[in-house]
Order: sequence, then C-alpha cells, then structure tokens
Amino acid sequence: MTDQRLKRLGLALAAPALALVAAFLITSLVLVVAGDSVGGVWGQILSIPEARGLTNIVNSATVYYLSGVAVAIGFRMNLFNIGVDGQYRVASFAAAVVAGEAWLPGWLNTAAAILAAMLVGAAWAGIAGLLRVTRGVSEVISTIMLNAIATALVAFLLRKAAVDDPGSNITATKEIPEGSRIPGFTLFPGAPNQVYGFVFIAIVVGVVYWLVINKTRFGFDLRATGLSETAAVASGIDVKKMILVSMLLSGAAAGLVGLPILFGEAFAYGSTFQSGLGFAGIAIALLGRNHPVGIALGALLFAFLDEQSNPLQIVQDVSPDIVKITQGVIVLTVVIAYEVVRRYGVRLEQRQVAAALDAERRTGSTSKEVTG
Amino acid sequence: MTTSVPDGTTNPETGDVVVRLRGIGKTFPGVIANHDIDIDVRRGTVHAIVGENGAGKSTLMKILYGVQKPDSGTIEIHGRPVDLGSPSDAIGAGVGMVFQHFMLADNFTVLENVVLGAEKLHGIGDAARAEIRRLSEAYGLDVDPDVLVEDLGVGARQRIEILKVLYRGASVIILDEPTAVLVPQEVDELFDNLRELKAEGLAVIFISHKLDEVLSVADTVTVVRRGTTVDTRPAAGVTSRQLAELMVGSELPSPSTETSTVTDQPVLEVRDLTLPAPTAGLAGTGGRPLLSDVDLTIHRGEILGVAGVEGNGQAELVEAIMGMRPGATGSVRLFGADLGGLSTRRRREAGIGYIPEDRHRHALLLDAPLWENRVLGHQTREPNVSGPFIDRKGARTDTQRIVEEYDVRTPGIDVLARALSGGNQQKLIIGREMTGEPSLLVAAHPTRGVDVGAQAAIWDHIKRARRDGLAVLLISADLDELIGLSDTIRVILRGRLVPGAFDPATVTPQQLGSAMTGAGDDAAGDVA
Amino acid sequence: MRRLTKVTAVAGVAVLVLAGAGCAKKSTDSEDSSASGKDCVAKVDTKVGMAFDVGGRGDQSFNDSAAKGLDKAECELGFEVQTAEAQDGEAESAREGRLQQLVDAGYNPVIAVGFAYSSAVGKIAKENPDVNFAIVDDAVEGDNIANLLFAEEQGSFLVGAAAALKTESDNIGFVGGVETPLIKKFEVGYEAGAKAVNPDIKIQSRYLTQPPDFSGFGDPAKGKTAAEGMFDKGADIVYHAAGGSGAGVFEAAKDADAKAIGVDSDQALTADPSVRDVILTSMLKNIDVAVFSYLQGVADGKAPTGPTVYDLKVDGVGYSKTGGQVDDIASKLDEYKKQIVDGSITVPSE
Repeated sequence: MTDQRLKRLGLALAAPALALVAAFLITSLVLVVAGDSVGGVWGQILSIPEARGLTNIVNSATVYYLSGVAVAIGFRMNLFNIGVDGQYRVASFAAAVVAGEAWLPGWLNTAAAILAAMLVGAAWAGIAGLLRVTRGVSEVISTIMLNAIATALVAFLLRKAAVDDPGSNITATKEIPEGSRIPGFTLFPGAPNQVYGFVFIAIVVGVVYWLVINKTRFGFDLRATGLSETAAVASGIDVKKMILVSMLLSGAAAGLVGLPILFGEAFAYGSTFQSGLGFAGIAIALLGRNHPVGIALGALLFAFLDEQSNPLQIVQDVSPDIVKITQGVIVLTVVIAYEVVRRYGVRLEQRQVAAALDAERRTGSTSKEVTG
Repeated sequence: MTTSVPDGTTNPETGDVVVRLRGIGKTFPGVIANHDIDIDVRRGTVHAIVGENGAGKSTLMKILYGVQKPDSGTIEIHGRPVDLGSPSDAIGAGVGMVFQHFMLADNFTVLENVVLGAEKLHGIGDAARAEIRRLSEAYGLDVDPDVLVEDLGVGARQRIEILKVLYRGASVIILDEPTAVLVPQEVDELFDNLRELKAEGLAVIFISHKLDEVLSVADTVTVVRRGTTVDTRPAAGVTSRQLAELMVGSELPSPSTETSTVTDQPVLEVRDLTLPAPTAGLAGTGGRPLLSDVDLTIHRGEILGVAGVEGNGQAELVEAIMGMRPGATGSVRLFGADLGGLSTRRRREAGIGYIPEDRHRHALLLDAPLWENRVLGHQTREPNVSGPFIDRKGARTDTQRIVEEYDVRTPGIDVLARALSGGNQQKLIIGREMTGEPSLLVAAHPTRGVDVGAQAAIWDHIKRARRDGLAVLLISADLDELIGLSDTIRVILRGRLVPGAFDPATVTPQQLGSAMTGAGDDAAGDVA
Repeated sequence: MRRLTKVTAVAGVAVLVLAGAGCAKKSTDSEDSSASGKDCVAKVDTKVGMAFDVGGRGDQSFNDSAAKGLDKAECELGFEVQTAEAQDGEAESAREGRLQQLVDAGYNPVIAVGFAYSSAVGKIAKENPDVNFAIVDDAVEGDNIANLLFAEEQGSFLVGAAAALKTESDNIGFVGGVETPLIKKFEVGYEAGAKAVNPDIKIQSRYLTQPPDFSGFGDPAKGKTAAEGMFDKGADIVYHAAGGSGAGVFEAAKDADAKAIGVDSDQALTADPSVRDVILTSMLKNIDVAVFSYLQGVADGKAPTGPTVYDLKVDGVGYSKTGGQVDDIASKLDEYKKQIVDGSITVPSE
C-alpha cells in the first residue's frame, strides 16, 4: 500500500513538471516571435541570484505563501475565494492603524495588530460566506465585488487615518513604533537586506494548515464537503456551517498576507503598499495543489521568477512582463496537467482493481451471471 | 385499461423495422449495464420501453442516441448498420431525443430555440419560420415560432422539444419519461401528438415506468430488467399486472426467508410524518405533500420493507428519518427518544446506520482513498477519531477489517473509491454502516446496480445483523428482494403508506405490483 | 468535469489578472529621441540610469517628459542611458532591486521618476554612497540625493488666471486624479490664480479617487463623469490634473461645447486630435528641463544634491500657447508671471 502512495506521489509530481516544461516552451516561443534573445532571457532568469536577491525571494515567497494558503483553505472545500486581495488590504490597513496607534506597548501591540488583521480579514470574507449561506450568492461573484469595495473603503479610511509628512507625496498611516516591529535576520551572508522575521509565522501557519486539514475531524469534514457536498450532508456534516467557517478561516489567513511587509519593511500602510497579492495566491494555490509544501514551492517559484525578471529590462532590454506570461502559462497548464494526470491515475487504479478481481475470479468459481 | 386502436397506421406486427438492435451490451467497470438487448422498432408505431429505475433503460437510450458506445452488438437504422459515436451521428441517422429536462433557452423565442445549432438547415429567418409553421401544422403541435419560451407552460415547451427534433429531420423520436413533468390534461395532449406522429409514419420510442400510460399510448411494449430485454409484446394483449410482473421478475434466486427474529421491542417509531411539497413545485407535483401522515414501527430484529414505484416518497421518507429534510413534521423516535430537531450527525451517533440510495452522490467520496471513506459518516466515533483528531491508524486498521470481513475486492485501502466496482463499493458501505453496532439500519436500494455475487453477500450481511437484533428499514424496487428479506412489507403510494401490511410469506410480486401502481383490487383508496 | 470547468475558469481569471497587472502597455520607444535633427556629440564615459514609474516611456505624460530630458542629455551631453520601468502594485523590494541593479550595472547617476521611489531611493542611496541619485517629485533626504521639485502651484496659478479671464459664466472647475498632497498643489494654485482675476468666481473641485487607489490617474470614464457634472452645474472651463483620466475631461468638454485645460505637457499637441481644439491651454511641468539641468550639472563635474525647485523663473513650469486660444490674454498672464517671478505675488502651495 505504500507502493500505492508512492505511485500517487509520483503522479502528483508529474503534473507540475509537465506544466513547467510547457510554460518554458511557450515563453520561449513568445520570445522567438518577438525577436528577443531566448538564451539571454533564460540565462538571466535562471542565473544564480545574489544574496540581496535571495533575501528578496524568501521575503516575497513568504507573502505569496500566506496568500496561497488563504486561497487553498477555500479551495479545499470547493469554495473559490477570489477575495483574498481585498481581504488582505482591508486587514493590513486595520493592522497598520492598530499598530501605529500603539495602544499597547511593544510586542503586545504587535500581537494586537496581528489579531486585528485576522479578525478584519475574516469578517470581510465572512460577508461573502454569509451571503452564500443565507442567499445562495456565489462566493466568486461576491468576493470579486468585495475586492472593489475594499479598494474604495481603504482609500476612504486612509484619508482619515493618514498622517502628514511634509514634502512627501506618500499618504500613509502612522508609523509603527520601533518596539512593535518584527525584526528581520540575515539569512544569506553579505546581503544588505534582511529576511522578514514574519517568515517564522508563515511557517507556523503552514504547519497549522496541514495539521488542521489532514489530521483533525474538522479538516476531514472540510475536505469531505469539498469532495462531495451531497455525501457530506448524508454523513451528517452541516455544510452551511462549514462554508461559513471555512470562509472565515480563509479570510483570517488572508488577513496575514500583508503583515510581513507591514512589520518587516513598510511599517505603515500607504499609497505604495504592494497590491495584487491575493491574485497571485490563487495561482500559487492551484500550482501547489493546495498542499502546504506544494504551495511553498509554488510561492518560491513565483518569487524567484519575479525577482529574476526584474533586471531583464536593464540586462536584456526585454520587458519583465515576459515572466507574467510564463506565470500565467504555468497556472493554465498546471490545471490541465493535473486533470490529465488525475484521469490517468484513476484509470490505472481501475485497471489494477479489475486485474485483482479477475485473478480471484479465475481461482474461485463464482459462475453466477446476470440472469436474462 | 385502454389499449390503443390502430388508427389506420402500420400494423405493429408487420411494419418496416426502422430501428433494429441486436445483442447490445455495455459494461462499466464491475457492472454489466446492458447485455443481449434485442429490440425492433417499427415505422408508424409507438414503442414503449418499460423497466424499473436502474434496469438499464437509460444506458440503452444513451447508446441509441450516440452518447455512449456499446461494447457489443449492432444497431441498424432503416436497414443500414450504423456506428453512432456522438449525438450528431444519431441526428444524422434520423434519431432524435427529447430529454426529461428540457434544453431550452428561456429568453429566446421558439424560432431561435429551434434553429439554434441547426442554422444550416433553413437559415434563421423566414424560411425557418415557415418550416416551423409547416411542422406545427402537420403534427398538430400548435407552436407559434415568435413567442418567448419563458412565456410558455411545460406542455408547450415539450412540444417545442419535439418540434426541434422533427426540424432536424428525425424519423425516430425517443421520449425519456415525457409524462413525469406533465399534469393529466397535458399528458392527454401529448398522447394526441404522439398519435399524430405515428400517423405520419414516424417511430416513437417512449420510455416510462407508468404502466397505465404506456398501455394507453403504445402499440408495442418491451420490458427491460436487470440490463436486458425480457419480453416484447403487443400492447393490445397485455395488462399492467402482467407488465409489472415482467418488470420486477419472480424467478430470481430469492433471498430465502428465515425464522422470524422479530421481538416486541420497538426501535423506530414514526408518527404522522409529513413533508410539505416544495413551494415552487413543478406543475406535475400539483402541490401534493411529498409525505403525508406516515406511521410505521420497526422492532428489534425486524426488517420492514417498503415497496413503491420510484418517486412516490421513498427517498423523502428515508431523508426525513435521517434528518436531512428540514420542514418535516410529525415525530420520529428511536427507542422512545424523540429525534426531532437532532441533526443528521446526532441521529447517526444515536445508532442509525444509513445506506443511501445513490452511493456515488451520498455515500462515498469517490476521489478519496477507501480508509477515508471508512471515516465518512463516522467521523465523530471510535476508532476513527481520538479527541479532535482523526485516528489514522485506527481508521486504517478498521478499514482493513471491513475489507476482509465483507470481502471488498481491492488491492489495498489506499485505492480511491472511484476505482472499485459498484458491488465492492457497496460492500464497503455496508461494512461501514454495520460497524459501531447500530440499532437501526436505513437501507435504500442496497443492492441496486450490484452484481449477483455481491448481492447475495449483502443479503447475508443484512440477515445476520437482523438475527443479532438489528432493526432495518429496507427500501427496494426489487420486489423479490423485499419479499425475501422483509418480515413485514408496506407499500408507499403518492407519499402515503397504503393501509395494511403485506405478509411476505404469502404475498406475490404481482399483488405488490398492483398495490404500488394503485391499479389493483387490493390497492388503497386513491389519494387525490 | 464540472469541477474542472470551474477550476479552469478560475485559473483563467487568475491569468487575466496576472496579465492585467502588466498590461498597461503603450507604444514602444520614443520617436523624438537622439536621432531627431540635431547632431549629437560624441559619447562620453558617463552612464545614466533612469527608473520610471508605472507606465514608463510612452505614457504621454509624466514619464515621457522625464524621458525627453534624458534623451536630450544622451544626444547633447553624450551620455549612455538605460531605463527600467515599474510594475503596477509591485513590492518595495522590486523598486529597491531596480535601483540597485542599475547601480550594479555601473550607472551613475541614477534618476528615479516619481514619489513611489521615495523610500527605495533613501535606502539604496545610503547603501551606495559613491553613487549619485536624483528623484523627481519627492523630498527624501540624503547626501547623494538630488530632489527635482516643481512649483506646480505657480503654473497652475497662471492657468487659473487664464480660466478666470476666459470664462463667461464665472464658473470653472478642477478635476484632480488622486487626492495626494502633490495634486493638492495644483488645485490651490489654480484657485489662487482664478481668484486673483475675479475674487467672486465660483470654482468646483473634485478628486476622482483617494490613495491608495491610484486608478484616478488612468480612468477616462471617471474623468468624464466628473467633468460632465461640472459642466451641468454651469462651469464652462475645467482644468484637470488627472493624468490619463484627462482624456475623459476633454471629451466631456467637447460634448458640452466648453473648454478644458491640460496638464504636465502641451496637451493641445499630444491629446487625441478630435479634442485638441477644446484645450484652452496646458499647465506645463517641464520635468525634461529639470532632468536635463540635473544632468548638465553632472556633465559639469559636480552632481547637484539637495532640493531644487523648478519654478516659473527657470521655466520649470509654465503655460502653453498652442492653438492661439490664449493669445488675447497672453499679456495679462505674462504680467502675472512677472509678478510671481519678482516675488510681488506669492502663490500658496497648500
């Protein structure tokens, strides 16, 4: 039976490998058509990053990872939380205000801000969950709408909360006091920048996600609902409650997405705060197959591509947008590849089972046939 | 009992055969859906195909309409052998199908719906409109090409579906359970239309399990049971009793009745169980409650069988007992304790095992391994959990035990449930629901779609549990199964239990069949 | 199967969004670069790097204006130049990385266009004390940082005066793209100029979005709606400081048979030909002048540091006369300009 599981692992790895190869080929094709240097571009992208670059990769992978996990919680239940983007922006803003106001001293302030972010993210996602449960509104639609509302809401509130910094055009919340920041550390010798301390929290989130989904009754209920809602109902799972709870959890995780940046680098929420992280999370969760380790690999891959493509314009005079094509193609091909591999796997198993049955039939003598 | 008067059309015995099926067989992994099907459909006739749900009618129709390819056998249309790889092949060969669920775009006009996908035939303008008018006239379909479909009733929509098929040049029309959605007057109109069609020389294949209707409109009836054609008879010389007998069969190796183990200790008591019709009911349900005033008691060691034609409330009865139907009124008691207000999970924990009717939709996670399927429905109980955590080891060990004890043929417990055959899936489900010593087993069609070997095994397991004091509510469309297993049999008709119990020792499938259709002498008074 | 469809659909959305993030694309490199007309001088050994804001070269506004100064330096000073542009919503580390890569590739000085680079310039300048940096529109401090700032309020004062002189309804409007301190300067100067001509003039003012929502700089539909509202309420001239959204303001003016005032570059030359005749004048913000004069300093061997405000005096800001619609009032406007330059009028900036 470990044989069975090994085989399944092999199949699971085949899909992303297939997708990467396809993405590589298609991107190269685009480069050829555009008349750019294929070798030069891949040479740059696949070069070994310097310490600064490596640090950046780890940092942005941390952020992507949290986003991917937030999306994956929903995916596991067949819920499509497209709203991680809005949820993390509203939540980051809330955390920035709480931390900036510093009602509590030092680390307590940090903890309060993180808690605020998770609560606000959960509440924002909860709206979509509630609409789905009580009114049957598709969470895809409502979360997209809530993203737009989040943009407006944060803009509106930021104006009230912003502090004036004479001479600067950046509108931002009050800076988080020194004592409440999360210090970074040097992971790669010689790097002028530091890895976010928040990376440890991200790892904890990943472990908790894995534990809850795979090891607990709650996680079982969640996965069962995702696999078959009808079977879940018949097995006694309260599906409506599960929808609401998993939307809340997804939103709470989404609330963490912006925090590594907030506590490790920006120290305030302002007009240059990174956006679009929630959408990257969708791609990464798909790529990582909702598995905590898969998501980590996907996040690292996306972060790596982002970082390595940044100098393309300077080095190769090719727009870094080319990696957006690569990333997009990876996501599309990975979905197709997973489905192809899944069907192949099922057929393989069916054949095995049939073979096992046939073998028994030949030895035993069940001559019963369907009567005519 | 009406029989159709051949109104000057082709003689059903001698007319040209337009569709000839010979030796059609289709096997899905572990399940034989069709085998040795032989049917001749003649020009200018209505040919009914009857059989219980799961008998193989739908697979047969899918084969004829090109949705699935047969593994064996030949199809001839108008005397030419054809190879139907897709519905468009079938349409090309002159076979059209009207599905039970209409496929019409509400916000399009009739004209637009009819030409959709067939724009090449007569364009999308006046030529198409004229053709629709002509067909409507010729077959008495009374269809106006320029009204919006959303303004039309169910009967009119069905006529549009028929017209769509005619528009595409079909000479053979398959109607799948066409009366299920209609009120009686609409049924009469439909039958008038069908007579027009056959008068014009078309062949109509009419699929149904409503025997009265079949006899009033069909010229020829073919009965399908357990995947094959049992008999084909002219409608003129057959009664609905005879058809019912053919449909349910009586020569199968029946599960022999054993010494009664019924005690006088009631396990399940259902009183006045009523389930109102959904507010936005289809015209066909007519607002009739899905269940009304159901009373039943099952004792320790007793198997209570419920017979009934599909759609008379069996599924609702089961789901109401399992707590899956909000809005049910009346009381359900287990060992005297009221289950009202308890969730499905609490009811299961209270000792109810549940074998749902549709195992793929309700009993399994097809894409999860067997051992996780073992946990499903029992995720709050030993040996599957310890505290808030799933006890992986315990669940796996116990799955292994079920696989051995219930003879689930599988290479291992990490295989996905999807990979198993229906019979083995069902054995796993039975094994799972029998563990934890349930006091009541609610089993809906426990052997449907299961091969004969697995069927016998499942019967044995149920009988053994009964000896040990299990109370069983058994819903089945297989009357032999009901008669063979049950200690008491009740019949459900239009959401009500027909008064009086049948003794399986003396009752015949024919008597049950009559009671089920409300056609026989011993049927209860008709409920309006 | 149904599930696959849904997953694919979502993947599709994800891809669209990813693509959308990088698709504010525009026509490629400039037409009027080094090759145009003038003979360029021989190459010298100085390499200049420029990091654009989102939109990059070809945005017909802010970035293009900076690029124009850079191109001029390439030709007239013989510098070797390299540019790189920002992605929408990118990480802070991406901006820092971009500047550092330019430094690593040997570019010195490095010019950052736009206040989004504020903290990145501060940080990278500190890490590379031997490299000179310049930043447009931001006052971040550092020993090796030059701040290229503009007296937008002075230019806006002149177009405000022009609007007040030209209006027939004594009712004019202002559309700001995003309510940032920078755009506030435009509004304040505009108001002051209009009031200097007619203290009783009615001025309607609106901002399209609030930060961090920067869509107000790129949404013509929003600009059109806002301007239509002003024209409906009696305005006959509307000034926009809204980047790409200005196209909508011009359209609204055309529909209402009214006038509009452009911003940053001479929009009577750069706007869509069908609306050029509604453009009364444009407030010029000559980033090219600032960039070139900074690079001139570099060529002279002494890279400037600290803030330099490009105002009316040095033609860092001004107004355009293309189309001849303000020729009749040019003398009055030039009089105001003189008074501002000589200090007899002080234009408020906030």
